[in-house]
Amino acid sequence: MNGMRVVKGVSRKTCRGYAYLLASLALALLVVTVPAWAQTKTLNLSMLAGFKEDVLRANLPAFEKKTGIKVVVDSAPLGELYKKQLLSLSTGARHDVYFMDEPWVPALADFLLPLDDRVKDIDMPDFIPTTVEAGAYGGKQYALPVDPNVQILIYRKDLFEKKGLKPPTTWDDLLGAAKALHDPAKQQYGFALAAGTDPQAPLYLTLLLWSYGAELVTSGGRAGVNTEAGKKGAEMFLELVKVAPPNVRNYTFADVNKALQLGQAAMAVQWASGAKPLEDASKSSVAGKLGYMVPPKGTRNAPMRGVWTVAIAKNTSNQAAAWEFANWLSSKEFGLASTKFPSAISAIHNARVSVLQDPSTKAALPYVDALLASLRTAKGRPRLKEYPDIQEHMRTTTARLTAGELTLDNALKEMDAGINKILGK
Amino acid sequence: MGTLQTRRWYLIPGLVFLIGIDLVPLIYSVGVSLFNWWLVRPQEIRFLGLGNYLALVGDPTFRRAVVVTGVFTVGSVLVELLAGLALALLFAQPFSFLRPIRAVLLLPLFVVPVVGATMWRLILHPDMGVVNYYLNVLGLGQPAWLGEPTLAMIAIVLVDAWRTIPFMFLVIHAGLETLPAELYEAARVDGASWLQSFRFITVPLLTYVILLAVLIRGMDAFREFDIIFVLTGGGPGTATETIQLLNYRIFGLGHMGTANAVGIVTLVLVALMCFLLIRAILRPR
Repeated sequence: MNGMRVVKGVSRKTCRGYAYLLASLALALLVVTVPAWAQTKTLNLSMLAGFKEDVLRANLPAFEKKTGIKVVVDSAPLGELYKKQLLSLSTGARHDVYFMDEPWVPALADFLLPLDDRVKDIDMPDFIPTTVEAGAYGGKQYALPVDPNVQILIYRKDLFEKKGLKPPTTWDDLLGAAKALHDPAKQQYGFALAAGTDPQAPLYLTLLLWSYGAELVTSGGRAGVNTEAGKKGAEMFLELVKVAPPNVRNYTFADVNKALQLGQAAMAVQWASGAKPLEDASKSSVAGKLGYMVPPKGTRNAPMRGVWTVAIAKNTSNQAAAWEFANWLSSKEFGLASTKFPSAISAIHNARVSVLQDPSTKAALPYVDALLASLRTAKGRPRLKEYPDIQEHMRTTTARLTAGELTLDNALKEMDAGINKILGK
Repeated sequence: MGTLQTRRWYLIPGLVFLIGIDLVPLIYSVGVSLFNWWLVRPQEIRFLGLGNYLALVGDPTFRRAVVVTGVFTVGSVLVELLAGLALALLFAQPFSFLRPIRAVLLLPLFVVPVVGATMWRLILHPDMGVVNYYLNVLGLGQPAWLGEPTLAMIAIVLVDAWRTIPFMFLVIHAGLETLPAELYEAARVDGASWLQSFRFITVPLLTYVILLAVLIRGMDAFREFDIIFVLTGGGPGTATETIQLLNYRIFGLGHMGTANAVGIVTLVLVALMCFLLIRAILRPR
């Protein structure tokens, strides 16, 4: 055969005509069913690796199907995420959307899209007010709250009942209970915390400094650790290390959870996101035996707030699609799905009161009342661009204090000196 | 073959490669190190001159990191050298059963450092680690290998040695294979003992090889990061925080000027160490 190829009597030209017609119909269908801006849009998301990523990935298909927006997840572990996001944003934003911890918002605000006009269109009053503050800086809203983490006290109800102890509401009560329940010979320890080089260690110390009335940075913009209140808080921190497992200087967030899960620790202050796996009977020997409450007070209750937020790069070319995604991630719809995600190691909570008070959420999360109560009294870390530097300085100084490189007095002096130096005071 | 003039053109690809890969980034890095450049405030970049370097000299954290790096480098290279030499001498003996063991001995060389370090972190875990399990069985307690400053330093030195002893062994073993057997035979005829042969034949003839191996391993140990990062993260306190770990922290916070200054100081220190070793290698005997 030469010249025009014929398929069952239909000419090549006719075939091409049918193909064009079909393609046009498909395109028209796409235009009708998907919003115009969302066509073939792909968003690059910088995400925290681990169980929060699992929850997100499990729910993403629903979002992608609904909007036609494809989300490419680029995840990094907690220790690397700030570095990665800082580099990404300061070198022209490789990502469109950022899932970021709240202390990073001030530092990265110059590179983020202000959302003030957009948030007027969504149900902002439904968010717990303190979680909205987590995404704000300098009077502007740069991020929406997604996962409202906060420190809560977790204690063994069974051990407390056995010893006739009451759940502690002050740090002195807690220390007394921890001493009563501390029995290293039986690998039973009073309290679990991270007290070494891990980034969690300075957060434990900060909780205690705050509880006794000290501040990392005072309202005058100077360091406020080396005070009487600060000393009391730091002394209590060191007392708690004495009733903790012997290797807490190597402890991480996961190790604190493990000490609870294995039944080694009678109490721990932990981020609420760690609580869900503790109630999984297949992995935890203490499921159903735990009580949850707001962390104790020294002179005030000051659980630390750690809200994971979602922000949009200022120079993304996908602003509308990015907003659609951010809105979905902080929505009631995603909140209800994520809090009930069927995995014992997964917990993305939600910053909306309507979600946290929903009966189905209460059934899924036995600690939700403590989470909500802690969030309502929670204290945020200083809203300063320099805060990541301050936290890193507190980390190294706390590690040196617990390793015995510094005395308590010298550590407090060094904390203040370092913070003032970072702030240029 | 062309003229000398023509042949010079053949240098161009090499020179372009050298300038593009080595010199341009190095000059850029030196340039950045002269500025106060914080990624968080990109609009406030200021020229500081040698300000970042002077700040490092006055910073006790940096001085501590230099000392820790020195202790780690000397400790790990010394352990590797002694163990590598001992193994090389053992495997130089004519025992056939040693041949299959030689292959096994090289295995740590093929393990990715991060994977190896993670494995050792579990092995040395105070509660769940196999080392402490057996120590406990023997009634020797459960030392916090990575939680006590001295033990942590010993642990990172030994883990680094575990990974790199095979390298030392290979290099020295290859050096031993090249030594002329006649010298040993002559020494034996003259009544020299094994120790005398080792002292007066093996050591002098192996000096170049050993110094070269020490040079390569010294440079590596000075720049070691992954094993220390995974095992101790620089702790407890700052007991194992080397210059590289410190630089990683500074870079992570976006202080580009300081981070590059630390990088340049590291380069100068490594170059100084290499210069001294190379001078020792090339010294006429």
